[in-house]
This record gives sequence, C-alpha cells and structure tokens, in this order.
Amino acid sequence: MQPSVEVRENRNVENIPFLPTIDTGLPSPLLLDVSSLKLTDRQLEKLFADNSDLQFEVTAKGELVIMAPSGDPVSVKETELVRQVSNWAKVDSTGIAYGTSGGFRMPNGALFVPDVSWVNGERRDAWRQAQAALPEEARRSFPDLCPDFVLELRSPGDTLVSVQRKMQEYLENGARLGWLIDPINKRVHIYRPGEAVVILDDPETVSGDPELPGLELDLREIWST
Amino acid sequence: MQSSLKPDKADAPVPAHLYGLDCSFLSSPLMLDVSSLKLTDRQLEKLFADNGDLQFEVTAKGDLVIMAPASSLGGRLEGKLFTRLDSWAEVDGTGLAFGPSSGFRMPDGSLKAPDVSWIPNDRWNALSEDEQKSFAPLCPDFVLELRSPGDTLASVQRKMEEYLENGARLGWLIDPINKRVHIYRPGETVVILDEPEAVSGDLVLPGFVLELQEIW
Repeated sequence: MQPSVEVRENRNVENIPFLPTIDTGLPSPLLLDVSSLKLTDRQLEKLFADNSDLQFEVTAKGELVIMAPSGDPVSVKETELVRQVSNWAKVDSTGIAYGTSGGFRMPNGALFVPDVSWVNGERRDAWRQAQAALPEEARRSFPDLCPDFVLELRSPGDTLVSVQRKMQEYLENGARLGWLIDPINKRVHIYRPGEAVVILDDPETVSGDPELPGLELDLREIWST
Repeated sequence: MQSSLKPDKADAPVPAHLYGLDCSFLSSPLMLDVSSLKLTDRQLEKLFADNGDLQFEVTAKGDLVIMAPASSLGGRLEGKLFTRLDSWAEVDGTGLAFGPSSGFRMPDGSLKAPDVSWIPNDRWNALSEDEQKSFAPLCPDFVLELRSPGDTLASVQRKMEEYLENGARLGWLIDPINKRVHIYRPGETVVILDEPEAVSGDLVLPGFVLELQEIW
C-alpha cells in the first residue's frame, strides 16, 4: 500500500490536546546515583558551576540531589531569613552566618546546603588553619564540618517527612540547634541533640537562646509573604 | 505544646498551585553539563544502571540528558512500533531491529537512544563484541522517534536532523499529537504526511509497511 504523500508547511500545532494534561516533568529534588563516579570536591565544584541554573546537594550514599531553583515567594522568604540571622551574627560577632549557597561536607559524607547556617568562629578558624597547612591540591572546597546551627525552609516540593529526616541527619552530624520552618503549616520545628522535637504553632518569633544568644527570629513576614 | 496540634500536611508534597508557584518540577529532559567529568562509556553504563528509573542520552557537547520514564501509553506505543519493525526484520533477514533502550555512540560524539531503529547485518557484524555490548559506535540506518506529550515538536525535529547529520538514511518522526508522520531522508526536504493510514519503508526497509491506525 502506498500512502498519499502530501508536502505542506508545518504548522507546528502545539496546543491540540492529545491526552489530558499530564505532568511529564521530573521530580524536584531529583536523585541521581553518581556514587560509582566517586566525584572529588573539585569535580563537584566544576559540575555545580557548569550548571548554575540548578541547585545541588549530595547524600551520604553518594547520590546527587538536583533541585529546581527557588521561585517567588520561596527565595524572598529565604533572603529574609538569611538577612535576620546574618544581621544578628554581625552584632554577636562570635561566629559566621552562611546563606543559601553555603555547602558543607558532613562527617557522614553528605554535602548539604542549608538555607541558613551559622558556624562558631573558633571552629571555623581551626578549620581554615588546618586547610592552610595542607598542600593546595588536598584542600577542601566545602568546609568539612556540620554548622552549629542550621535552618531549613520547607519548600512546596518537599514532603515534611523528607525535611524532618534531613534535620535529624544534621543532628547526627553534630548540629547543636536546627530550625525547620514550615510555611505550609505555619509551624517551626526545633531540633536539639538528645531532646524531643519542639513544634511551635504559628509563632510570631522564635528565640535562638542559648546556642545563638540574643537571636529573635521574626516570622511574621515569613508567614505573610 | 505539641498535644493540641492539628495533624500536619505531611504526606505528600503540596501541589505547587496551592502554594502559589509552579517551580517545583524540573523540566524533562533535564540537561546536566557533565562535560568536565569526561565520562567513559563504562562510567556511563554504570551510571545508567544505577538510575534505572530514568532515561539518559548524551549530547555532542557532553551534556547528560536526563528524562522521565515514558508514560504508560507512550511505552506501549513504543513497544508496538518495535514489535512491528522486528517482525518484518526477522522475515527480511538483512538487518536487526532495536528497541527504545538501545544507546548508540554517534559519529559526532553524542549518545542517542532512538525509540526504534534498524541496522543492516554487515554493519552490526563489523562491530567487536565489546562494541555491541556497550554503545555501538554508529548511527542506525533507520531511526524512529515517537513524539511524547512532554516533547516540543521543534526538539524532536532537531533530533531527527542530527540523526541525518550522523548518517541515518531514513528517519520517521511519529507525532500522535498532530497525527502526522515526518519523513527524513538525507539531502531531501522533509515530507509530512497528514494522518496517514500507513507509511512505507521503501528503499531502506524494503517491504516494511507500518500501519498507523492504532497509533492515532
């Protein structure tokens, strides 16, 4: 059978429904098991730089976690949280605050990028001195320590369980204080090693005492933006 | 404080539209520039095997193309198209048909996995056993791509052009969305058939006629 051949201009019709709209996207975060590649810090740094439109972490098992960039309002909330912690840290002056792109190599091998974090100044100095003593090629790109304080903002793609698991992992790696801020339920989950998780319902503020003395995080803007 | 709390919305990610934004999905395909890693075929094979729930290709520039699995219906159609070509190839006996997960290393360095393809026996037999077991370094003579709902037409058209540049002698782009078949031959303008009942494999696949009613 010879079909009739008809040459015509391609109308490139994109909007004719073929099936009901189905989601053909990939999940964010997407887990890509790259453990077999045994990537070094240098290779990861280059990979992240070459794909700067994406966000990355690495799990303890060696999976690359690939995430979509934050949209509005998530990035607005993140920036406000960084601003408050960073302002406090400047005045407090006993340590350093890190923003949403600060990566840390955890003792269990994971490379985590908390939304906000803070490291005691003496710990950071000790790490930097130890690095300075190493030959150039042995130096780490990402501080191999877990911050003393970590803050994670739950974003719409995250299940609560997945962020809770991550907070536990921070504690296991040595964090002294963790805040999980969940704008979906307007709750703050407070993590301290060896203590039950405290959950605050729709708080206006949360206090960093005693680990971050004097930090009063104002959440009104976080709930309203 | 915890006791009086209502249960958390904990079980599933909150749909983006309820939270006022739509950025919680990565596009499919996702292009990841891994050119700096200079991955070998062995490393790629292991990477693909360790991530069996995803589909992969590599562009000529060295970007890893990460794709969601085919939809259930899309996978069935791909299987059907392969079965038709394979039945013909068995009887014809001059070449071999390949299914949707066969990857080929193209002359331009890209690693592509056409939905269905066909290679003459002499080209296949000229490969070493290692090449056959890894990613065969050639472009199949015939390639078929089924456009899936997530593909833009332009992206599949570009891919068909790349197959031709790499040496394919016949390419069919089957577009169920517009019920059209685009036929690619080297050095010729693309022929577009509007809701054809069948397409013929003519000189490259002599005697192969693909009935399309079921696909439409």
